[in-house]
Amino acid sequence: MTDPLDEARDKARRLRADIRSFHERVMPDDLKRKSHLHQVLGKDDYVRWMRLLNDQGWAIGHWPKEHGGQGWSLLERFTFEDELARLGCPWVIPFGVKYVGPVIYAFGSEAQKRRFLPRIATTEDFWAQGYSEPGAGSDLAALRTEAIRGEANEGDHYVVNGQKVWTTYAQWADWLFCLVKTARGEQAQKSISFVLIDMKSPGVTVKPIPTMDGYVHVNEVWLENVRVPAENLVGAEGEGWTYAKYLLKNERTAGALLGMACHALERLKALARENPSASPERTAGRIGELELRLLALEVASYQAVESMMRGTDHGGEASLIKLRGTELYQDIAEAAIDLLGLAGVAWDPAALHAASAPPLGPEDAGGIVKDHFYNRAATIFGGASEIQRNIVAKGVLGL
Amino acid sequence: MNMDLETAGMLRDSASRYAADNYGFLQRHAVLTDPAGYSAKAWRDYAELGWLALRLPEAHGGLDADPLAVGALMEVVGSRLLMEPILASALIATGLLRSQGSAAQQAAWLPQLADGSVKLAFADAEPAGSSPCQVRAGRISGRKIAVLHGDIADRLIVSAADADHGGERRLFLVDARSDELEALRYRLVDGRGAANLHFAGVPAERLDPEDGTPAQAAVADVLDHATVASCAEALGIVRALVATTCEYLKIRKQFGRAIGTNQALQHRAVDMFLLQEEIAALTRAAQAALLLPVAERARIVSGAKAYVCTAARKVANEAVQMHGGLGITEELDVSHYFRRLMVNAALFGSRDEHFARFLAATTHSTPEGIPA
Repeated sequence: MTDPLDEARDKARRLRADIRSFHERVMPDDLKRKSHLHQVLGKDDYVRWMRLLNDQGWAIGHWPKEHGGQGWSLLERFTFEDELARLGCPWVIPFGVKYVGPVIYAFGSEAQKRRFLPRIATTEDFWAQGYSEPGAGSDLAALRTEAIRGEANEGDHYVVNGQKVWTTYAQWADWLFCLVKTARGEQAQKSISFVLIDMKSPGVTVKPIPTMDGYVHVNEVWLENVRVPAENLVGAEGEGWTYAKYLLKNERTAGALLGMACHALERLKALARENPSASPERTAGRIGELELRLLALEVASYQAVESMMRGTDHGGEASLIKLRGTELYQDIAEAAIDLLGLAGVAWDPAALHAASAPPLGPEDAGGIVKDHFYNRAATIFGGASEIQRNIVAKGVLGL
Repeated sequence: MNMDLETAGMLRDSASRYAADNYGFLQRHAVLTDPAGYSAKAWRDYAELGWLALRLPEAHGGLDADPLAVGALMEVVGSRLLMEPILASALIATGLLRSQGSAAQQAAWLPQLADGSVKLAFADAEPAGSSPCQVRAGRISGRKIAVLHGDIADRLIVSAADADHGGERRLFLVDARSDELEALRYRLVDGRGAANLHFAGVPAERLDPEDGTPAQAAVADVLDHATVASCAEALGIVRALVATTCEYLKIRKQFGRAIGTNQALQHRAVDMFLLQEEIAALTRAAQAALLLPVAERARIVSGAKAYVCTAARKVANEAVQMHGGLGITEELDVSHYFRRLMVNAALFGSRDEHFARFLAATTHSTPEGIPA
C-alpha cells in the first residue's frame, strides 16, 4: 500500500540534504560565523541571506509554480525552515516572501502581482507588517488606524491616519502591508482593509523601540495624513480581515521554532561539557528533560504537518507547535544562561556587532544572552500564548 | 535572636522616601546612561543618610545594624534599582575590613568608607585555568574576574595566597589605580559596572586581624551576609514587579475589558503574589539564621538563595509576559528588574551551588534546625 504522502516525504528528505550541502558549501563563512555566534545581523546581511536562498529557488519555494515558486508541500515548507534553523542559519525574513507575497498572488490585482511579486522574491523591496496598534495587540480587530477615501478630483486615493507598533524592521522597510479601517460603525471585521503603503510617503514616521537586548528590532510607525493610491488596496474594501486570516493560515506551521530549539539544545549540551557544574547530575537531568520535550515537539510537529496535508487535523496543531516550541526554546535559553554563570550576566553590546570578544566566557556568550532576552517575547508575538490557549479551548475542546 | 524591628522600620521608611524622591525611573535612567555608571551625588547622600555606616561598629560611629535593618535597606535598593555600590562597598568590603583589618587598618579605612570618600570592591573569583593570585614580597600577581563595581572602586580587597607567609589564603588591600593593575571595565546586563583585573606585581597591604580569624572564614561569613542581602534586594524587586503587573492587569484593555478580568490571568497573578510571600518568608528566616554560627546557618541561607533565585525568575518571566511586548522594552521598568534579578542570581554562588550546599546541610540536620 502506498501512502499518498510518500512522495512529499521523499522530496522533503532531498530538500533537507540539499540544505545541508548548501550550508556546508555555499553559505559564505562570514555570514555563517555571525549567525552561529548569534551576533546582530544588519539589513545588508539579511538581504544577502534572502538572495542566497532565492538563488537556490528556496526563498519562494512555497509559492505556486505559476508565480515562480516550486509549489512546495506543507511538509517541504516545514522541513525547509526546520533544517535551516537546526544548522544555526539566520531566520527567513517572513514579511515579504511568507506574509504579503501569498496575499498578493491570491487576492491582488494583475498589476500588483507584476509590480510586487518579482521584487519580493529578490528582496529588492524590504517589507514590514503593520498590524498591531497600541490598543490592538491580541485583540487585533480593535485597530483604529483609518483610511478615508480622498476627494476624487485629487486622484483616487486614501488618506491614512493612525499608529502601528511592534513593527519589526520598519527602520529598513521600503513597504508596509497594513490593516486599516475603511468604514466606521460597522462590525469590526467587515470594516478592515488590506493596503500597501510606500514607507517613503510623506507622513510616515518610524520611531525605534529599544529592547532589553540593547538593540532595535521593533518600531512604532506613525501614519499622519499619508496618501495611499487606491490601486494599493489589495482585493476588496472590507475584506482585509479575511486576507489576514488567509495569511495566518499559511503561517500555521512555524518550523523554525523546532529547529531553533534543536540548535540551542545542542549548544547547551556543549556548554555543559565545557563548564563543570556545581551539580552535574542536576544539569544532566535538566538537559534530559529538555531533550525529552524536544522529542515530543519534533514528533508532534511532523505528525501535525502530515495531518494538515491529509485534512485530518483538529485545528489546534499550530497552537501546539507555537506554545510548546516557544516555551521549550525559552527554557533552553534559561538553562544556557545558568550554565554560563557570571559570563551569562557580563555584557558588552559591542561583542554582538563583532567589535570585541565578550568580557567573560565563550565567544558566543553575548549572543546567547541576547537571544535569551529577545526570545522572552517569543511567547508574546505572533499570537501570544494566552491567545493560542484560547484558540485550543474554544476551537478544539469546545469550551 | 531578636532583631531590632524599630531600626529596620525607620530605615525602610526613610530609604523609601529618599528613593521615591531621588531615584525615580527617569532619574535612574540618567544614572544608567552616564558613562560613570553611578551617581556621585546619590553616593554622598547615602553617606549623609548613614547608609554607608550601617555595618560599621558603634565604636567607629556606625549603626552596627543587624541583618533585618540591612535587609530593609536592600529591599529599597531593589525596589528602585539603585546603581551605587552599597552592597559591594558598604556591606561586603566593610564586613571584610571589620573582620580582617587590624585596629590601625580599621581606624584608617572605616571612616572613609562611612563618609563615602572611598569606594571598595571585593575581588575574589578567578578565571578557570589561570594560576591563583599570589602575593610575594608584598606584591600581588594574578587575575580576578567579574569584580562587582571593580570599574569604579578606589581600592580593592583581594583574596590571594600569601607566599611570604607559607601560602595561606589571606586578604590584601590594593590601590585600584596602581600602574601595575590592568583592568577590563564593562557593564553587567543590569547596567552595574564590573571589571576583570590583571595584577602584575601590584603593591598589596595585608589585612591583619587582631583575633587571628582566618580569611577563609571571614569571607564565608561575609558572603553569607551578602547572599541574604541579595535575597532582600530580590524581595524588593519582586514586590515592585507584582505591584506593577497587577496595576497593568487593571488598566490594559483588550476585547473590551481589562485583561485582569480574565480568571486565567488572575490566578497567575495570585501565584506571583504567593511567590513574593515565600521569598519574604525565606528572606526573613535567612536574616535570623545569620545570627547563628556559620555551620548551622548554611541550610537556611543557601536554601533561601536557591529558592529565591527560582521564584524571583518565575515572577520576572510572568511580569514580562503579562506586559506583552512592553515587557521587553528599555522604556519600561519591568525589563530592568528582570535583568537585575539575572545578575543577582549569578552573584555569590549560583543557584546550583547553593542548592548543593542546602542538600548537604539538610542530610545532616533535624527539623529543629529551622530558626524560629
